[in-house]
Order: sequence, then structure tokens, then C-alpha cells
Amino acid sequence: MVASALAWSATARVPHVPKSAIVWPVALAGLAAAGGPLTFALHSGAVPSELGEPLVISILAAWISASYVLCGLLAWSRRPASRFGPLMIVAGFVSFAATLSWTTNEVTFTFGQALDLLPPVLFLHVFLAFPSGRLSGRFERSLVAAAYATAISLELVRMVFGGFGPNNLLEVSPNPAVADQVLRIQLVLVSAYCLAGVGVLALRRLRAGRPRRRSLALLIDAFALALVMIAFLFLSAALDGPAVAQIRWATFAALGLAPLAFLIGLLHSRLARSAAGELLVELREDPEPADLRDALARALQDPSLALAYWLPEFERWADLDGHEVRLPAEDSARATTRIDREGASVAVLVHDPSLDDEPELLAAVSAGAAIALEHGRLHAELRARLGELRGSRARVLEAGQNERQRLERNLHDGAQQRLIALSLDLGLLEERLRDDLDAAARLHEARHEIALSLGELRDVARGLHPAVVSGHGLAVALESLAAHAAVPVRLTVELEGRVREQLEVAAYYVVAESLTNIGKHARAKSATVDVARVDGQVVVEIVDDGVGGADTERGSGLRGLADRVESLGGRLRVWTPRGGGTRVRAELPCV
Amino acid sequence: MIAEDSVLLREGLARLLGDAGFEVAGQCENADDLLLKVRSYPPDVVIVDIRLPPTHNDEGLRAALEIRAQHPSVGVLVLSQYVELGLAMKLLADSAEGVGYLLKDRISDVREFVAAVRRVADGGSALDPIIVSTLLSRRRQDDPLGDLTPREREVLELMAGGSSNQGIADKLVISLRAVEKYVSSIFGKLGLPSTGTESRRVLAVLLYLRS
Repeated sequence: MVASALAWSATARVPHVPKSAIVWPVALAGLAAAGGPLTFALHSGAVPSELGEPLVISILAAWISASYVLCGLLAWSRRPASRFGPLMIVAGFVSFAATLSWTTNEVTFTFGQALDLLPPVLFLHVFLAFPSGRLSGRFERSLVAAAYATAISLELVRMVFGGFGPNNLLEVSPNPAVADQVLRIQLVLVSAYCLAGVGVLALRRLRAGRPRRRSLALLIDAFALALVMIAFLFLSAALDGPAVAQIRWATFAALGLAPLAFLIGLLHSRLARSAAGELLVELREDPEPADLRDALARALQDPSLALAYWLPEFERWADLDGHEVRLPAEDSARATTRIDREGASVAVLVHDPSLDDEPELLAAVSAGAAIALEHGRLHAELRARLGELRGSRARVLEAGQNERQRLERNLHDGAQQRLIALSLDLGLLEERLRDDLDAAARLHEARHEIALSLGELRDVARGLHPAVVSGHGLAVALESLAAHAAVPVRLTVELEGRVREQLEVAAYYVVAESLTNIGKHARAKSATVDVARVDGQVVVEIVDDGVGGADTERGSGLRGLADRVESLGGRLRVWTPRGGGTRVRAELPCV
Repeated sequence: MIAEDSVLLREGLARLLGDAGFEVAGQCENADDLLLKVRSYPPDVVIVDIRLPPTHNDEGLRAALEIRAQHPSVGVLVLSQYVELGLAMKLLADSAEGVGYLLKDRISDVREFVAAVRRVADGGSALDPIIVSTLLSRRRQDDPLGDLTPREREVLELMAGGSSNQGIADKLVISLRAVEKYVSSIFGKLGLPSTGTESRRVLAVLLYLRS
């Protein structure tokens, strides 16, 4: 998890493919090595009889060497970045080297015998290191190191105490009893390591949750049984149990087949990498960002894949719609892989941890997707910005509306009332001074001026806020609008009860502005205004029979209306074909 | 009886009406108070501001409508700083008897205003000229109003505002006989049946103009 959290750069370095000058000699050497056990078996006759039929056992030994070396070579050339191929090659050669103990030459015998218990440990190493070729975790590394140490050092100790015949160069103080004890300890310990290894594999499988390619994983896991069989054979030998040759052969056969399973596993991820190629082709078609996640999920064969974009300005991860995404904690059941572009995080893949086994695939897919991701990230950022903008627009409009409403009320309760009271005083005075014609005329004049001012103030107040809408609802307010319109208006209001004040005010302005436009530009004979509640929306529609072709962009009227309507989550549409009249339709959600 | 939340105006109105010979039976600040007082001792006429506490929305109007429904004998004169055709139609609903709806500004024209209050108290009606002119200025297709002479139009405006024939005659300085002639001519041109009382006449004209 920690490793995967490290950024896999989109410009991942390309691993070196082994040159054919290395591959061919190694392959030939492998085949030659495989021929070794056969030769020894046929010529020296030194194959230990307790292993069973010499010819069978030597064919199996040859088979193991050849299959590890050749499969290892293939794996190496196909997945150069993985150490798994070279590890298999080493395992193949070591298992050959161990059969040198079947020779009669003192030096080769001694060398081969010293390596006698190394192959099982290497098999353990190979099984644990699949597929990356690396051991993950301190426990696994300690386990394998201890196994190596046990296999080599105890074998050397045993050889010091002799019991291997005349070709053992290391024999110092022959003591078969001690040698026997050491052998038992050795066998028990290696068995224990193998079983521990099987335990690690089982635990790993459990922890990974749902494996991506379940059938293949199971196939590979099945070969871990070979480790159990090794442990069984060794324990059986150590505890003087029955030695069943067929089990030994089956074990050898399983060990020899395992490289093929590994190879299929690696080639499968090679197939997955060609899916990464398909991804690139797909991305070139410039997919919709929503398709990107699906395409990545397909390429990585992880349907649970989630994609989050980094928004630097908001300093958070977000999904395509701009909603914040919290990355899973490091020890949770999900793994993350970051995708960088030009040194900065662009996105993160939240995926099944089993994908961590295939860092190259992740890197290939990430590299291909980086550009498209940048596009998607911009998209997400845009959405987030849009959301913020919409919110702030609504707030600005609402604040403006509240402020205007407050001003209107102040005007109503303040200046207007005072002027009316003043005008009333003047009127009373005028009555009292009726006989003084000059004074009465002046007072009348003053009253007239005040009336004009009041008229102007009324217009200002109405412009600030249509108080009649708040006070008496849309239907009442629209009646005056329709009556004052420049053309005959048929007004239909089908609203039961009141709706949200902001909605009523917006609807009022839509009608007012539209009727003004009709009077100014439409050259219409008549118009209709319909207000109704449809499916939880207040729908306002103004239709005229004028010349159409209204300019919906210039002139702030319609634009301002659209702002107002959209800030309430609604929609304003205008149809204005040339010569075909104009239809303005506002849909305002009631919630 | 007066319901108006501005002290300045309330006192001014009370003084005006007192000077004109009315007895101001009560002054209220809000609609509830008004309804309570009307229930206890119904006056001839209430003058009510359309915007009253607590919300300053339509409390005054609702009180006016309630008084019209519960106490048909009480004239209701609604004052407002805006006059709305829709509100006028609501107030009149099915009868123009004992109802008025005027812009607040009108109170400074003391005589006219007192006349309007008296008319409403006597079961007549008083509609603000703005409403009438709104109705008259309203565009319509095949407008029979176009057939009216200017003089007939003037008479129609005054008639719709609630003026009696005598009131119209006084205002236009013509004889009562002449007014009656104009009225029947107007009704003929608009195709309206001539109705009895003056307040019924108001409603008929308004409904005609609004349709």
C-alpha cells in the first residue's frame, strides 16, 4: 500500500528487455543443465536409491531445471522490469546444481551436496515472490533468509560429520549419529519454513479480498500445494515415516509445472497491458469524462475502480461532479495510485489492492490516461466552479432582493408617509384659508408638487420591489401588469395559494420584462400570459404574435431574467423565430 | 373608525374627519384591534390602511374583506400607497356597495376625500381614478370605448369612480338632466343594461371594463 501510494509517474522509465546475446546462451545452458541429471542417472548410477526409480527421478529433475530456466527466460523478456524471470532462471540452475551430488567426481559431488536442500528453499522464494519477483514485508524476507541460511549452513555442518561416502571433501570428523540428527533438524526446519510460506500465501489471498482474476489466482495458488508436499516429504523423512515414491514424483512434477502457471499468470497481465493499448486508442476518440472511468476500469479489469481528480484551488479530491472525495486510509481495503502530470498530481485511482501486484500495468494505464485525466480534471474543476458560482449568484441576487425590499419598506414607512402627512396638513390649511385666495392657490400648488413627488417615489418603490407581489400574490400583481400592457393581454393564472416569495417575484419580473419587450419591439397585436403549476414547477409563459427575432443576448433584460431564474434553479427559454412571434417560458422549481 | 399604523397619518386623518363633522369612534394600530372594535360597536365607515402590522403584507386587506363579509352595513374605505386593479376587484367582488379603494395621497384633497368617505358611509362607492384610468387605458380589440365622445368618456370615468349623477353634474358643471342623458348613451354604446342604483352601476361598468 505504501509502495503504491508513491506516485507512478506517467513518464515511467522503460525497463530494459534482455538482449538476445544473453537470452540464447542462457537458454542453451538451461537445456544443457537439464541434460545433466539424465546423464548422471545413466552413467554414474549414483542417484540415491531412496529417491525411487533413478530414471524417473532424473527425468523429473531435468524437467524442473528446464522448465524454470526456459519459463524464467520468457518471463524475463516479457516483463523485464520484474525480477521474477531471473529468479526462476536461478531456481532452474540451482536445482540442476543440486543434482551434481549424483556425480562421482569429488569436487562436483561436494558442491552439489552442499546445495542439496537449496532447491526447496528457492521454490519457496519463487512462490512468495510471484509476480513482482520481490518479497514484500519483513516477515517474508526474514522467512526466506532463514530458510537459505538453514539449508546451506546445516548442510555444511552435516557434511563435516560425514556419512556421504568417499567423495565428500568436507568430511572432518565422521559421526553419522550427529549427522543424522542435523539432517532431521534441517528437514523439520525447512518443512516449517515451507508451511509458513503457504500460510503467508493464504493470508495474502485473504487480505487481498476479491481477486481480480479469480480462476487464474486459484490455479497459481494450487501450486502452493507443492510446498505442502515438500514439507510432508521432509517431515516424513525426519520422523522416519513412510517414504512414498509416487508422492515424491508428484511433488517434482508439480514443482516443474509451477513455472508454466507463473508464466501464464505473467502473460495474462501482458494481455492486460495490451488492454492499456486499447485504452489509448479509446482515449484518442476523446471520450466523455464519464466514459474515462469505465475505460480505465475495463483496462485494469477492476469494476470497482473509482477516479478522483485533484483540485489545486480547493485543495481536495473531487469526483466528476465536483463533489469531494476522501481517499481511503492506507490500511483500508482499497488501494490508491496517483497519476501525475508535469510534476503535479492530476488524479488518483482508487482500486482493488490486488492491482498493486501489477505496477507496470498501472503505470501504463496511468500514462495513457494522464492527458484524458487532465481533461476530466478541468471538467471537474469547472463543475465545482460552476456550483460555487451558482451559489454565489443566488446569494448575490437574494442579498440584492432583500436590500431592495428593505429600501422599499423604508421608503413606504418613511418618506412616503411623511409626505402624505405633510400634504394632508397643507390640505387642511388650504381648507382653513379658503378665503385667502392667494394663500389657497399656493397651498394647492404645493400639494400638487407633493403629489408629483409621491408619484415618482411610488415608481421608485415599485422599481425597487413589487410590494404588491409580497403582499397579495402573483395573480393580483399580474392583473395590473396585464392591464397596463401596450397590447391586449389574455392573462391566465392557475396557482392555488401562494408559492415562495422569491419565486413569485422572479415570475413577476419575467412577465413584466417580457410585456415591456413586447411593447417596445414586438409590434404585436396581442399577447397571452399563462402561469400554472406543473409537476412541482411554476411555469410562466408569455407569447406574442409579433415579428419575433428578438435579440436574446444583447440588452440586459433577458440576460438578467435568466440570471434570476437560474439562480433559483430554474430555466428560462426564449423562442423567437423571425416573423413567428416570441415565446418566453420560465420554469421555476417550487422546492 | 380608523386603522393606520403611522401615528402621523392616523392623527391627521382623525383631525380631518373631526373638522368635517365626523365622529371618530376609534383609532387602531393593527387589524386585530380594528376587527375587535368593529365587532363591539360597528361604525358607519372604517378607513383602513392596506399595509398593517405585523407583516405589513395584506393584513389590512384581509380585515377589510372580513368586515365586508361579516358587517355588510359598515362601509369600508381602503387606503394604500399603491392601487392595484386586482385588489380592487377582490374588494368589490360581487358588490360595490359601501366600499372604497383610494390612493393615500387623496386624503390631502380634503373635500374630495371627505365626500368619498361620506359616500362609502352611505353605502356608495369610491374608486381611485388610477384604477378607472387603468381600466380605460387598457388595450382591447374592437374597442367600443372608441365610440364614446370625450364628454361621455369623462362621465364614464366619474361613474366608474363611484360618483353619483349629482356628483358628476357638479364636477363637470352640467345639469343633472344632461348627465342622465350621457349615462344612458354610454350604456347603449357599451351594450350594458341600465341598472338601478349607482353602486350597482359601478360594478357593472367595472366588470365590463375589466372583461
